[in-house]
Amino acid sequence: MEKQSTKLAGNDFPFSGDFLAGRLRKHLSHDDLYYIESLFDGTLTLPARETLVERGKRMDISAILVSGFMFRTIQMGGNRYIVGIHLPGDFVDLHAFALKRLDHSIVAVDDTRVAVVQHKKLKEVMDQRPHVARAMWFATLLDASIHRKWIHMMESLGAPRRIAHIYCELQTRLSLIGRANERVVRTPFTQKDIADMSGVSAIHANRAVSKLRELELAEIRRGSLYTDHWSALRKYAGFDASYLYGDGPLHLNEGWGR
Amino acid sequence: MLEENLHEELRRFPITGRFLAGRLRHDMSQEEREILETSISEIVEIKKPTRILNHGEIYDHSTMLIDGFVIRSIDGPENRYGVSFHVPGDFVDLHCFALKRLDHNIDTIGPAKVGYVPHEHLREIMEQHPHLARLLWFSTLLDAAMHREWIMKLEQLTTARRLAHIFAEIWRRLRMVGLGDEMGFDTPLTQAELADLSGATAIHVNRALRELKDSDVAEFSRGRVDIQDQKRLEAFGHFQADYLYGEGLNYLGEGFSQKKSLLHHKISEG
Repeated sequence: MEKQSTKLAGNDFPFSGDFLAGRLRKHLSHDDLYYIESLFDGTLTLPARETLVERGKRMDISAILVSGFMFRTIQMGGNRYIVGIHLPGDFVDLHAFALKRLDHSIVAVDDTRVAVVQHKKLKEVMDQRPHVARAMWFATLLDASIHRKWIHMMESLGAPRRIAHIYCELQTRLSLIGRANERVVRTPFTQKDIADMSGVSAIHANRAVSKLRELELAEIRRGSLYTDHWSALRKYAGFDASYLYGDGPLHLNEGWGR
Repeated sequence: MLEENLHEELRRFPITGRFLAGRLRHDMSQEEREILETSISEIVEIKKPTRILNHGEIYDHSTMLIDGFVIRSIDGPENRYGVSFHVPGDFVDLHCFALKRLDHNIDTIGPAKVGYVPHEHLREIMEQHPHLARLLWFSTLLDAAMHREWIMKLEQLTTARRLAHIFAEIWRRLRMVGLGDEMGFDTPLTQAELADLSGATAIHVNRALRELKDSDVAEFSRGRVDIQDQKRLEAFGHFQADYLYGEGLNYLGEGFSQKKSLLHHKISEG
């Protein structure tokens, strides 16, 4: 499976090969895809736990994640809260093109590589290729859709189900970019990370992880989740993938039309 | 000063005059304001709570909230969950222009007045007025910023503090668009809706509201939220307004262009 993604991405799209894969990518013409690839100036390597974008700083560039994991975090009262997780192909701070300053920080989880684009180039995209600009807008709204699901999840689920939901989401998102494995979701997350993304204490998170094991739904070891029971796990978490806008009821089969 | 400007703005642009007020409206040219105002093709008055958009359906228009309040909701098996709310001037489902189908519903609470913009008009704006399109994009990302704050809030806060945070946010947002008053704001929000918005049961909300009242943080009565002390409310709700992109840390006084930045600071200083 992991091989497939490199094949899909190919050498033609080393920076943006995973951008909107499994979602709107198939509605972009070959020309558009090459155009998007050409916008990037090159890559930047970020060591684990390094901050890419700091809250409140004015940005004139945006970055797409090429490899590795990233978090969106908010710091409040000495604590860090994780409000989003990013995978390759995610245009992690495209938001900064319109917001200029971010309300949160974007940090590398493991060693990551990002490709960088200047905002003045994105402005050209808006001027010259409104269709591509709309696809980019779409990409930022996918994040908003995932945020809403997380709000819903925090409002309605207890810690074990939240953790199950987060891994179900990761599994689906990895499969959209052709990087999923059948039996495992590999992540570099620490126990503390898992606690910070599910809004509970480390002890609580540990207990929740044990509960998933006791229910024989999944085993989480060193940040990676192992399971042979995806459908039971999804059911337990109440996971419905449609908010990710891949294949499913919200999927944009027909493109935008007019 | 701000309110006077807003008054004049609403006289000229009665439908969209509140859009981005207090945030990036100053970066909108007069022409852009005209274009947005005339992009609304239909205005609808809604008398009672109504679901105006269903998740999963395709829409060819987006909705500008002119008067009243709206909740974005996700239906659970038994409950409705509120994932955000909207005040007048919000382009509530502009998201739909890019997403076409939404992952959530849009419900009005109490009476409301909305304006519909055909996606055809929005497409023309994208093709012919990229700067205005960027402002529209900005407005949808304000929603995303609020969503992130809510995730944090739900990860961190007790029910009473969540409610204080919600009140603090509504109040600030209303004040930016010239609504509410110095002592609080009128709202048709019910306790049931507050439960939907805070992920708590009705009983929990009832108790939390009592706590807010007893500790002089805020008083919720039917149709009204009274606040004696903004600082106290905001401290209790761990509320910091930066994520709303009004004046403060993230404020874009200079708009999108770097050049304007200096000019604008001079104007505001003078």
